[in-house]
Amino acid sequence: MTDHIVAPADELEEGGRIITELNGREICVFNIDGEYYAYNNWCAHQAGPICEGNITGTTEASFDPESLEVSLDYCREGEILNCPWHGWEYEVKSGKCLSRQKVQLPSYAVRVEGEDIIVTL
Amino acid sequence: MSQQAQKQESIQDTTIVDTDVHLSVPAKEVAKYTDEPYRSHMANTGYAPLPSSGWDRNLAGKIEHYTVQSPEDVQQRLCEEFQIDHPILNATSKLPRLPQSDLAVNLMSAYNDLLIDQYLDEYDHFYGLASLATQKPDKAAEELDRLGDEDQIVGAYIATTGPNPPLGDPEYDILYQAAQDNDIHIAYHGSGGAFMFEFPRQNQSFEKFIEVHTMAHTWSQMMTLSSLLVHGVPEKFPDLNFTFLEAGIGWIPMMMFRLNKEYSIRRSEAPLLEKSPEEYIREFYFASQPIGEANDPKHMKQLIDIVGVDSLTFASDYPHWDFDHPDALEQYLSTFNEEGRQKIMYKNAADAFALDL
Repeated sequence: MTDHIVAPADELEEGGRIITELNGREICVFNIDGEYYAYNNWCAHQAGPICEGNITGTTEASFDPESLEVSLDYCREGEILNCPWHGWEYEVKSGKCLSRQKVQLPSYAVRVEGEDIIVTL
Repeated sequence: MSQQAQKQESIQDTTIVDTDVHLSVPAKEVAKYTDEPYRSHMANTGYAPLPSSGWDRNLAGKIEHYTVQSPEDVQQRLCEEFQIDHPILNATSKLPRLPQSDLAVNLMSAYNDLLIDQYLDEYDHFYGLASLATQKPDKAAEELDRLGDEDQIVGAYIATTGPNPPLGDPEYDILYQAAQDNDIHIAYHGSGGAFMFEFPRQNQSFEKFIEVHTMAHTWSQMMTLSSLLVHGVPEKFPDLNFTFLEAGIGWIPMMMFRLNKEYSIRRSEAPLLEKSPEEYIREFYFASQPIGEANDPKHMKQLIDIVGVDSLTFASDYPHWDFDHPDALEQYLSTFNEEGRQKIMYKNAADAFALDL
C-alpha cells in the first residue's frame, strides 16, 4: 500500500472531482459535501469512463397495495453518478450500482493530511 | 491513449471490422447535396425536416450524447480509441419512413454522395453502406447502378422499420437484382425511432422508451427475415449476402427453429425454398450489437455457439447510446480458437461484404 498525493485540498471544491493517473490507473477523487471518495475511472459494464459522467438524481417508485397507486419520486439529487457511455447508475458515496446488486466500483482510501489529498493504493 | 483504449492487449492484436457505425448528419449538411426544391425544403421547414419519435434516448442527461460529424471523429474515437481497423459507415436510417417518396429518392443520392465525399474519400480504410429509399425500388436499383464502381461502397443499408410491403415482396426484386449485379451486399437495420410507424401502439400505449427499444429492432428484423424466406429471396439472388444489424443475436435461434417447424407443415406457402429455413439463416450474417447481458455468461456463450462462428460479426453501433465496445463481444470468445475469433471479429464481415482485406 502506497500513499499518493493527488492535489492540494483547496483545488478540489465541494461538488468537484479530480481525475489523475496513479500506478498506471486512472483514479478519480470526488468531493461530495466535504467528504472525499476515490474510484477507478472504469465502469463495470464496458469499462467506460464512469468518473467523467454527470452526477444527478434518479427516479424511484413505491407501490401502495391499499390504493394500488405507484408513486414516482425524482430524488437523491447530487448522489448518483452516471456512466457517460451507457448510463449505468452508481451511488457516488458508496460505489454501489443501482441496477446490479453485486456490482460495486472498486474504491480507495482517501484522506486529507496537512494541505494535501492523499489516496492509498 | 485513454485507459479504456489500453485495457485489453488481445484486441490490439486482432483486426476488427465494425459493421455498424452511424454518422450524425445535420439536415443542413445533407441539404448541400440535394437538388431543388428539396434543398429549400430541408432549409426552410420550421420543424425538424425529418421525422422523429421524440423519445429521450439520453435519459435526461444521464448518458452523454455522442455524435459522429467528421471523418476525424471516426478515426480518433473508433479507429484509435476502440482499435477498429475498418469501420463500415452508414449515413441515415430515415429514408424508408418518409411519406414523400420524391424527397426520399433525392435524399438517397444526397446521403450517399455525402458519405463518399466527406468520409470515404478521406480514409482508405473506411467502408460505407449506400442508404436506400425503398419507396421506389426502381430508383433504388438505379442508385446501386450509379454507385457500382465505388470501391468503398460495399453494401446497401436498408432500414427494416418502415418499408411497406415487407422486404421479401417481389416488388423489391429489381433492387436485389441491381445489388447482386453490382456486388453490393445487403445490410438490414431496424430502428426505434421509426417503430411508431410500424407499430402504432408504441406511441399510443408505451410510456417508456425502454419498452419501445427492447422490441423495435428485433421485431422489424423478424418481419424482414420471415418475408425474405417465404418469398424465396435467397433462392432468387443466390450471390447476394444478407447481414442483420443492431438486433443482437437472441432472436435468431427462435426464428431458425420456429420457421423450421412452420415450414415443415406449411411448405406449400413458401414453395421457392429448397432447404430448411435454418439452413438459409445459417448463410446470413448477424451483427453482435446490442450484445445480450445474461446474468450467467455461460448462456451468452451458448447463444453464440448456436448462432455459429461462421455467422457472427462485430458491430459497435457507435455513437448511439447503446453502443458496444469490442470487449463486450471479446469476453465471450475465449472458448473459440484463434480462427474462430478471427472469423467473428473480421473475417465473416469481410465475406459478408466482399472486403478486400
